[in-house]
Amino acid sequence: MTALTRRATLKATAAAAVLLAATACQSAVDAQTGGAGASATPKPGGVAEVGVNLDLVPGNVFTNSNVAITTLVGLVYDTLVHYDRDKLEPKPALATEWQAADGGKTLTLKLRDGVKFHTGRPFTSADVKFSLASYADPKWNGQLLSTAKTITSIDTPSAQEVVLHLEHPVSNLFDLLDTVPVIDSESAADIATGKRFVGTGAFKFDAWKPNTELKFSRNADYWDGAPYLDGVHVRVIPDSQSLVAAVRSGQVQLARGVGYRDAESAATTEGVKAVQLEGAELQAYVGLNVTAPGLEDARVRQAVAYALDKDRIIKEVFRDKGYPVSLPWPKTSPAYDQELDGRYRHDIAKAKALLAEYGKPVPEIPLAYVGNDQVYTAIAQVVQKDLADAGITVKLTPVDSTQFVKQLIGAQFPGLWTTSHSWAQFSPSTLTVSAYPFNARRNSSHFLSPEYTAAAEKAWQLPTATGPEATAAYKTLSNQLLDNAFLAEIGVVFEQFVTRSNLHDVDWSRRRELDLSKAYLG
Amino acid sequence: MTRYLLRRAPSALIVLWLASVLIFLVLRAIPGDAAAALAGPDASPEVVAAIRHDLGLDLPVVTQYGQWIGGLLSGDLGRSYLIGGDIAELVGDGLGNTVTLTLAALVLAVLVALLLGPLWAATRSRWVDRALTAFHTAAVALPTFVTGVLLIIVFGVLFRVLPTGGVPPNGLLDRVDITVQYLVLPAVCLGLPVAGVLTGFLAETLRGELRQDYVTTVRAAGVKRREVVLRHALRGALPVAITTLGLQTGALLGGAVLVESIFAWPGLGLLVEQGITRRDYPVVQVLLMLSVTVFVLVQLLTDVIHAWLDPRIRLGAAA
Repeated sequence: MTALTRRATLKATAAAAVLLAATACQSAVDAQTGGAGASATPKPGGVAEVGVNLDLVPGNVFTNSNVAITTLVGLVYDTLVHYDRDKLEPKPALATEWQAADGGKTLTLKLRDGVKFHTGRPFTSADVKFSLASYADPKWNGQLLSTAKTITSIDTPSAQEVVLHLEHPVSNLFDLLDTVPVIDSESAADIATGKRFVGTGAFKFDAWKPNTELKFSRNADYWDGAPYLDGVHVRVIPDSQSLVAAVRSGQVQLARGVGYRDAESAATTEGVKAVQLEGAELQAYVGLNVTAPGLEDARVRQAVAYALDKDRIIKEVFRDKGYPVSLPWPKTSPAYDQELDGRYRHDIAKAKALLAEYGKPVPEIPLAYVGNDQVYTAIAQVVQKDLADAGITVKLTPVDSTQFVKQLIGAQFPGLWTTSHSWAQFSPSTLTVSAYPFNARRNSSHFLSPEYTAAAEKAWQLPTATGPEATAAYKTLSNQLLDNAFLAEIGVVFEQFVTRSNLHDVDWSRRRELDLSKAYLG
Repeated sequence: MTRYLLRRAPSALIVLWLASVLIFLVLRAIPGDAAAALAGPDASPEVVAAIRHDLGLDLPVVTQYGQWIGGLLSGDLGRSYLIGGDIAELVGDGLGNTVTLTLAALVLAVLVALLLGPLWAATRSRWVDRALTAFHTAAVALPTFVTGVLLIIVFGVLFRVLPTGGVPPNGLLDRVDITVQYLVLPAVCLGLPVAGVLTGFLAETLRGELRQDYVTTVRAAGVKRREVVLRHALRGALPVAITTLGLQTGALLGGAVLVESIFAWPGLGLLVEQGITRRDYPVVQVLLMLSVTVFVLVQLLTDVIHAWLDPRIRLGAAA
């Protein structure tokens, strides 16, 4: 063995230090940050660096179930119509005009001319038929499956015209047309394996490396004008704090999936802001199994709803990124009724009075939640304390996310659970026919009632989602939800983008799909 | 040596088979399944049942095990439920990254231990001893998620001299100087606890060696203290240190799961974490089997090196 002299040791240490310093001064960081300053004038060029906390699940591209999926779908695909975020009024997208007939049982759509898929193939009515039929296949688990299944046949009289025939009128048909991504039939088989995603959107899908990155490039032939950005590079960064650090250091210009506290902390950095996704709301709620001892009585369930300190949860857990509600509808929903929505305000005295009226002791109730989710762990603790104040003992039962979903779908929660749902930002009937916790025919709460079913069906089978008849139907539905209290809403909350100030004009859809078609780097 | 190796091989194969059964059964015992994870919270039970059938999760457990083992033996690792891709391809991509990270951490840990271990054992300075005790305690006691976040904040956010995570845009082999920058923080984070443990073991073993009679004899012959430590005592201490290193390799692989998540390093750790969370059984099974195999091989290698360094072991085994 060669002797390790002091001089040699010192030399090795010095060499290591120099190497470290030299490499630290090289360009890996500069290459990522670019060093651009803020500018309000749109200019072409540059690649937007986006960070997401979850990776793509190709089999779930029709479910809007995570930030990687909503990023991919928003960049690559278009829909037939497009909702603005403040009202449910369909605007032209791939369909330029439409005409309903036969009392809402037929809809004829004229398609935009000159649109091409990323492969260069022209978009036609056959692609609309293929996309809607694919969405109706249960294996893709499309959230608006019930609505898609009401389409009994699709005629394509010409390449630019589609006629949809429905079993019965549905008030949320345009929700479906705003949601279903128009996919390329020739490459559709590659979606499930994540090899190819071909649409007509502003960006072309280039590559996906699982757990690493997704790459997209500019679609110069985009029908709504070529995007300013040359491309989008999406990096998978699972750890929330690392994701925030990447934005703070400028290595990522937009982060998705950042926790509420982390987003609040990041926004204190100069040049970083948190943008809440208005119009794409989520709802936090406490679910109740109406067959559990004690919870079979509506008065006890109402007592639970009164006992919840929603303001505290919104303020402390969601860092004021939302507002408390008694019903699932956000303020932009046609079903929103301020008076009805004010029913379950935090009122321990009322909760106690209802329990006294019930007259029997309520046994200890388990409360399930996803244990590694900081938000819902905090909510569960607040709920436990609130219900204790009212006289109900709650046992916290944290489970992992997969087990939680299994229990939710299988209606296996023995008492209470807390999580969030979506889809209330669309036509109100979409929630009651598509979101399983609200499904009138079978739901996680085991709540079955002819009155609720009738109210849900009535709201769904209206020819339109707005108007006096719809408002009356939604009021009946809301009263059913309030009186039966099988789901106690906590609040409408917003997902957030954490962005650098040099990325301008970032947009999103009601389903939280990322829209960078008009975005540019300053 | 070959005979020694052949004698150890059957027990290694039994361990691998038992591990395969255990891994398969334990994963099935975890509540929840991939179909539910894929379906999401708004899905109906019918959709979940359709997905479960599609994935073959409604087949008897024995049939599923037979299909898996049969596939493994014929070189077909299967397909991921979630990612949809070929597992061999996924593992191939991740393995290179994990091996690179683990090797970097290992090299770092060994260098630190070889530098600080002898220094700690031989030092007469109270300050050096205190400083090395503090290093050892911090390295062993600080959890990787704390070290990782601290490293990111200091070098990625405050000084902005190193990337906060990820891999080089054009791959690890494109430019070594860029790769090194991406590798520094995760390798330090992963290697630090191992460096601490190794340094402590090496120093302690060296102190023991320095109390041996042969050291007194060598010293009496006028050999310098530094030479005694590095030439004589270190050779005696190395077998124990190498055994410790072998055991620590397992810890490194385990630690890689967390470190890869913190630094968005797309290795096998991330695949394991995602696979367990989302019940992607085929991926987790293959990765756990791979980990067990690597661990068994490392142990085998450690024993071989140990036997090579210390003839008493191979002779004892032969007897």
